[in-house]
Amino acid sequence: MTITCLAALGLSALLTAQAAPAASARGAGQRKARNGEVSRVAFEQLSKAADRARDENDNEDAIRLYRRALSLRPAWQEGLWYLGILEYEKERFLDARDVLRRFVTYDPSAGPGWAVLGMSEFKTREYSRAFDHLRRAMALGLGGRKEMAQSVFYFVAALLTRFEQYDESMNMLLAMVKSGQKTDLLVEPLGLAALRMPLLPAETPPDRHEMIRMAGQGALAVEAGRQGEAERLFSGIVAAYPNEPGGHFLYGVFLLDLRPADGIREIKRELEISPFHVAARLRLVEEYLKEERFDEGLMLAEEAVKLEPKDGPAHMMLGEVLIAKGDLAGGIRELETSEKQAPQTVRTRWDLLRAYTTTGRKDDAQREKGEIERLNAPTGEQEP
Amino acid sequence: MKRFSSLLALFLAPLSALSATPQKSFEQIAKQADAARTADRMSEAIGLYTQGVHLHPAWSDGWWWLGSLLYDEDRFAEAAPAFQKFVALTPKSGPGYAFLALCEYETQDFGSSVKHFGEWARRGSPGNDALLDVAGFRWASLLTREGRFSEALYLLAAKAAKVGRSPALVEAMGLASLRMNNLPEDYPPERRELVWLTGEAAYYSATGATLRASQYADRLLVHYSHEPGVHFFRGTLFEFQKDFGAAEQEYEEELRASPDNGPAMTELAVTLVDDVQPDKAVPIAERAVSLEPQNPRSYYALGSALLETGKPDQGARALEKAKQFAPNSSFIRFTLAKAYRALGREEEAKRESAAFLALKDKQDVLAWPENRRATPEQVDPRGTKKP
Repeated sequence: MTITCLAALGLSALLTAQAAPAASARGAGQRKARNGEVSRVAFEQLSKAADRARDENDNEDAIRLYRRALSLRPAWQEGLWYLGILEYEKERFLDARDVLRRFVTYDPSAGPGWAVLGMSEFKTREYSRAFDHLRRAMALGLGGRKEMAQSVFYFVAALLTRFEQYDESMNMLLAMVKSGQKTDLLVEPLGLAALRMPLLPAETPPDRHEMIRMAGQGALAVEAGRQGEAERLFSGIVAAYPNEPGGHFLYGVFLLDLRPADGIREIKRELEISPFHVAARLRLVEEYLKEERFDEGLMLAEEAVKLEPKDGPAHMMLGEVLIAKGDLAGGIRELETSEKQAPQTVRTRWDLLRAYTTTGRKDDAQREKGEIERLNAPTGEQEP
Repeated sequence: MKRFSSLLALFLAPLSALSATPQKSFEQIAKQADAARTADRMSEAIGLYTQGVHLHPAWSDGWWWLGSLLYDEDRFAEAAPAFQKFVALTPKSGPGYAFLALCEYETQDFGSSVKHFGEWARRGSPGNDALLDVAGFRWASLLTREGRFSEALYLLAAKAAKVGRSPALVEAMGLASLRMNNLPEDYPPERRELVWLTGEAAYYSATGATLRASQYADRLLVHYSHEPGVHFFRGTLFEFQKDFGAAEQEYEEELRASPDNGPAMTELAVTLVDDVQPDKAVPIAERAVSLEPQNPRSYYALGSALLETGKPDQGARALEKAKQFAPNSSFIRFTLAKAYRALGREEEAKRESAAFLALKDKQDVLAWPENRRATPEQVDPRGTKKP
């Protein structure tokens, strides 16, 4: 993205006053003082020249001058910031990254600094770091920079899919749709998340490009309440790609709300293609709970836990089935396991609150209530 | 940004004497630096440690903290020289080499990074779980880049068993299993799905989930059956499962696509010997040796095949060559003992048996110096040599 506009917005809010010259008590001799004065004058000349070159869009010259000024005053935050974004705009992402790492050392609360750093790291394919730093930018806020916020959200959502956090990615992408963002760019990431393919849009296999687009467009249609269009797209996927993993699950989940029996049939078909699909099992368990088919639900929930013993949602669903079958102690045990593995999941805490209340464990119930309130409190994280 | 200060603090011996003849200003700076660090004023601490080590270049603790604070801030290019100074000043530098190697990985000084990971390993890989985790992973990635795939997979499989599955681990296992000389950051994006599916199969195979591994391995065939390395990888999975017939078919398929693929030829020969078809293995192993004259496993395949076809004399010669390249391989020593016994050379057989017994509990994979086959520059992702 272009961030000249960001720079033009002014950094007064972002940057505090220029860093004071590094304090140094040593060597207070006259010669040193004279050298210091020469250096100060040189820095001021260079920094002004750099700013002027940037204002005149002579960016290569500006980069050179910022670098020289920073060699005299390495902690000059404004210089680090402008140098970082100029390098980013020149698509020299390694250089941008290194400069911005220094910048955030001096100003760790600068959301935009973390944002451009994270985007640089995305470009250099340091995805884990990029993810951490972009999330940090979201938490700190971007000072109303809408274009930057959209980019940050896009990158984070794409990375969530690559890190196999598909539901979180979908939620984020749909929140972006709701906020009024143009959907063209979101179709592919939505499709990848919906089909549970841990790839970035740039990594999409050409022979499944159409399938991924159809899945993304279908997700957008569902979000807009255009059920007919969504069904046409999802049924089109399973017709065109009948043996490809992901399609039947997506269609099945969609159908569960419309025609549950058809939805169950599609998800079962997915399990024939993808026999180790944990999410498909859990979605079926949820439906069976609704239909009070507890034995079928229990079997699938136990399989899910066996396949992924460290999966919080699998333990949560097993806990819910056990409680539904009247095994309160077993259910609580599974829910507590789930809570340990995924402490941020509010649904598990509601389940536990109810179970503790039923069994008269008032203190435990109270603790869960407090946790639910805490988790539901606004985070202050930037909106898309 | 990961906070490693606390981690680093665990390794640091009590602060050594700062100086025999301390200067007041240095002492002040050292105290201020420590105070800034413990108060989490990182940029100030970095500045003060920098001043301190300039005044007193032998201040090893200063270099350590300077390196560790810069590492914490992901400023690896600046951290590396500080760790370099630290390990030079501190003979028993413990995890210092690992942090130096990690910085060098980040600054893409890969040769130095491999060297310093090696130094760290020679000192017993000191460090806590967090360091072992990150250093082991990076080292494995570098071994993959260097074409030392078995060693990389050994490290990654150990990590899989210890900490379980993660997307990054799956990716790294995929690259090594496909014998791609790449880091996770630098392979072609269009190969991402191939790497992912291969990594899943490798991970589940390494953790004993054979059916799940097979499911991913089969998915590879749907879209990537013509990709280099896919049939080789499937061959290794079947070989591991002792399904020799299926393994042979896969290696043959790989060789149809790339007839000069030395590793595939070697594994086909080894599998044929295991499958009691040594006659068929001999010409294939001979060709593998001619393609990779410095690969101990090729000589091992040839020696085993010759031995099993009733030619212990020729077999022993091939196995001696294998031993020359990989003296710490228990497999080779065991088979060589067998060959000497068949030749009636009892003393030598006893010597090799003793060597086998001494080595057998060690991980054989690390005894195969795959890197002797060729430098990374000489090997392309197909596993064939470049002209």
